[in-house]
Amino acid sequence: MLDTIFIGLSVGSVLLLVALGLAITYGAMGVINMAHGEMVMLGAYTTVLASIHLGIGLLGAIPIAFMVTALVGYAIERLIVSRLYGRLLDTLLATWGVAILLQQAVRLSLGLAFFGITIAGLGTGLQNVRVPAYLSGVISIGGEQVSLYRAFIILVTILLTLLTWFIMYRTAIGAQVRAIMRNPDMAAACGIDVKRVNALTFAYGSGLAGVAGVMMSGFKTVFPDMGTPMVVDGFLVVVTGGVGSLMGTVLSAGLLGQINGLTASVSNDIIARAVIFAVVVTIIIWKPSGLFSYKGR
Amino acid sequence: MPVTKNTLALATYVVLFLIILAAPLYFDVFWLNRFSKFLVYGMLGVAMALCWGYAGILNLGQGLFFGLGAYSIAMSMKLASPTSLAQGSDTPIPDFMLWNAEPGAPIDLCCITNGSFLWIPFKSQFFGIAMGVVLPTLVAFAIGSIIFRKRISGVFISIITLAVVLLVRLLVVEAQPFTNGFNGLTDLGYLTVFGHEFDPYYVSTYYLIAISLVVVLVLARILVQTRSGLILQAVRDDDRRARFLGFDVPAYQIFFFCVSAAIAGYAGMLYVLVAEFASPTFMDLAFSITMVVWAAVGGRNSLLGACIGAVLINMVEATVSETPQLIEAWKVIMGLAFVLAVLFLPRGIAGLVSRLGYMIVRKPQKMPAARADAVDAEPARAG
Repeated sequence: MLDTIFIGLSVGSVLLLVALGLAITYGAMGVINMAHGEMVMLGAYTTVLASIHLGIGLLGAIPIAFMVTALVGYAIERLIVSRLYGRLLDTLLATWGVAILLQQAVRLSLGLAFFGITIAGLGTGLQNVRVPAYLSGVISIGGEQVSLYRAFIILVTILLTLLTWFIMYRTAIGAQVRAIMRNPDMAAACGIDVKRVNALTFAYGSGLAGVAGVMMSGFKTVFPDMGTPMVVDGFLVVVTGGVGSLMGTVLSAGLLGQINGLTASVSNDIIARAVIFAVVVTIIIWKPSGLFSYKGR
Repeated sequence: MPVTKNTLALATYVVLFLIILAAPLYFDVFWLNRFSKFLVYGMLGVAMALCWGYAGILNLGQGLFFGLGAYSIAMSMKLASPTSLAQGSDTPIPDFMLWNAEPGAPIDLCCITNGSFLWIPFKSQFFGIAMGVVLPTLVAFAIGSIIFRKRISGVFISIITLAVVLLVRLLVVEAQPFTNGFNGLTDLGYLTVFGHEFDPYYVSTYYLIAISLVVVLVLARILVQTRSGLILQAVRDDDRRARFLGFDVPAYQIFFFCVSAAIAGYAGMLYVLVAEFASPTFMDLAFSITMVVWAAVGGRNSLLGACIGAVLINMVEATVSETPQLIEAWKVIMGLAFVLAVLFLPRGIAGLVSRLGYMIVRKPQKMPAARADAVDAEPARAG
């Protein structure tokens, strides 16, 4: 029983890792960023490139991936998303186009493939990242054998969630973000530079996705299409949890993770995923605003 | 006779129909087979424009209806294939069912694998054809009744439809003994209606698809100009106002959602006819969103624009796919075109062309520049 719960926790933490960035961009800005999965992918590729070209390991790649994806996110916000405020569905579509472009950038070695140049670590092929020795192996918790890397992911997820909570609820910029969530016009009237804060929010959300990508690269194969299923999962978590509610996202990731783990233990992974979709559809139909949303906007 | 936008649109329709119907005079059967796939995609474009442009429902799960239509007819055609008849039984049995059957299971559709009895009515190809349209429509009715009666709107519809199509895709993959899982239904027989075999490389099959597209386009066009079509557009622009005026808003939304699904299902059937397979990839997320891309680039508010957009994009794609390096470059171009279309051409190529055409024929009277801008700058409704 304990190992089933741990599997659920592990799945949930991966879901939360991806969903955290989305919870911020979607919750704060009401922007559906279909390129979020590609941010995860970029984070994973940053890890690959860092280890090939700079000799930097998984841990060292975390800040680099955060910076890279935050910058890409900032650029996307300034160039595309900021032109589409108030056109939610159009943002969804435009960022889907961005997602394709980012995938192709990786496949074509940033476009250099046209000139016959390839960068080791990019391209269409599959990549793998080696987990450092001190993070591999198993530890025993309460008599159960637990993969150390899985435990490490859970730890990182907890740290990132706490960091995000701290920024959102204990800093000046966090207060501004929350003001924009409640009412963007009123926030602007109070002197908040909505455009700047939105761009920073988007960059931070993308950066979180980049860190998620680093963690993913440790236990998943890295390839250009890896982001698409993640963005779907991330959205299901965020929408189930309720827009603009960090706590809701955390709880819904935990809930969906446990459902996934339990179903997978009695049937298989495909059925578990199908059950997740069914549960989420039911929840959205029953409560479109999510399980843990507050009144606002 | 004054030249209006309607006469321009009419002229475009006529030209398109002439090109489609005259194509067999100029192309060999191999190209006609490819071209008929593009026409099927064009039909999906029409379904998308109807649902998204006219009803304001961004359905990210259109592939579900396409897939249901495709699987329905493919089941019938599978049972008609020579291999299904040569499995050592008097009645046709799909070959993959034998591979998946428990040892010692009776070689009969009734009980060879779990649920295989559901295949029995598909022995009649008329049943398969009927199901190809009825099944998507019923499913759309069920989904639509729930989401529109519950007044779920905007992006939540997109997320629900997206989740549903992925859910069904997983179930199709999982139900290996019933659907042949990942591999899909291949090695199909021919569809035979009143003794006429629809070989995918016959000109008659091309004409079936071309005429179907013409009929679908004309009917859809008539439908949006009826009273209910107008009410639907009112709902899209302001559903609350329409509700206050006393209209049963969900009824119109459900109706058009179902029509769009029926068209997509029909398109799925025609696709199987020329492509000779049905596969779970029809229900991939990427395929459903690709349909949205066609409509967005062609013009989401224009049935004709979305249709031509879908056909043209696929024609170019098929041409560049001959060289491997260009395939990757093409995806870059598509991604870029999509972003730019959303940013700068919310009404797609159709909006641009109709504006240009209007300006050219109206030149002598000199339309005020500001108004011409206003026509296209009118923000596309989101949500």
